[in-house]
Amino acid sequence: MKTDPENFEELRKLMALKRHELPPPGYFNRLPGNIIARIERGDGQLGFWERISASFTVRPAFAYAFALAACGALTASVYSVKTQSAEVAYQRNPGKGWHTDSSDQNIAQTFDASHGPHVANWLGNTNPSAASQALPSLFAVPYQTVPVSYQNQ
Amino acid sequence: MTRAPSSELQHGGENEGIDDLTLVHRAQQEDSGAYDELIRRYQERIYATVYHMTSNHEDANDLVQDTFIKAYRALKSFKGDSSFYTWVYRIAVNKTINFLKQRKNRIQMSLNDVDFNAENDPDLVALVSDKTPRRDLNLLELQEKLNGALQKLSEHHRMVVTLHDIQGLSHEEIGKIMDCNVGTVRSRLFYARQQLQAYLSDYLK
Repeated sequence: MKTDPENFEELRKLMALKRHELPPPGYFNRLPGNIIARIERGDGQLGFWERISASFTVRPAFAYAFALAACGALTASVYSVKTQSAEVAYQRNPGKGWHTDSSDQNIAQTFDASHGPHVANWLGNTNPSAASQALPSLFAVPYQTVPVSYQNQ
Repeated sequence: MTRAPSSELQHGGENEGIDDLTLVHRAQQEDSGAYDELIRRYQERIYATVYHMTSNHEDANDLVQDTFIKAYRALKSFKGDSSFYTWVYRIAVNKTINFLKQRKNRIQMSLNDVDFNAENDPDLVALVSDKTPRRDLNLLELQEKLNGALQKLSEHHRMVVTLHDIQGLSHEEIGKIMDCNVGTVRSRLFYARQQLQAYLSDYLK
């Protein structure tokens, strides 16, 4: 059967049939009562996280403010942890101050010499044999005392 | 929620004739009678949209109830930027499209009966009269074929054709409900009609 793609008049007539499809008699008399009863039972009540996400949808400004506050709290906590660890390090060895002196360099050299191969692991080496080696704890560096003499030799 | 007298629940009572916005304000104050009236005003249109999209009465019943419950729970966020009618329609459309995406190809039609007036509809009389090539075709068979063809369309194309060709909404109204521009509505409608015409070519003159 031929149908003109630009002429939908016949199709429009056919679609009229859909308007005659009706639900069972009395359905629309009962429906509002059923809905109100479900509302009164508490159906569809939002949980805590759903309420939060719903308010983000309704008020984007609230979402931005929440994100900003979360970022601020994260930054503050990171800064606080860093400051505390620096203070602890200073209290352990108050005489050394914050600058790098020769003793620090010696420690660093000793540490590099003994643990040099593991640096590959830190850089993302995928060699399974290298990766299986346990890394030493960064906090277990042995303190070394290097005698320093200020006298001219 | 304030319980309305049973007579109000049956007939809308004193809320008949009050504009939507006033009813919404009352419903926001947990006046169930006001919300009952809002449901009565739009239930048939919302039901028809969802039913034509799903071709299943039970699914449509569940979705319509869920739509009005969700609308009630979200009523406090309704600011009146659009009409209540557009707003609740949008909830129904989104719910139905999400439901159909989850259902995917598991289509199980549960069609409503065609009312007796259909036999006297001039458009339909012409389609099933002795003069048409498919004179053996009866209305029930035609109904099944038509629903089957609609179910072959994508959700968005089916929605546009349902809202425009069955429910008679304007392109502008459909654009607001589906949150797209009028050009998109027109192009979807054209494509959907072309598809339907191809699927139903045996039943068109």
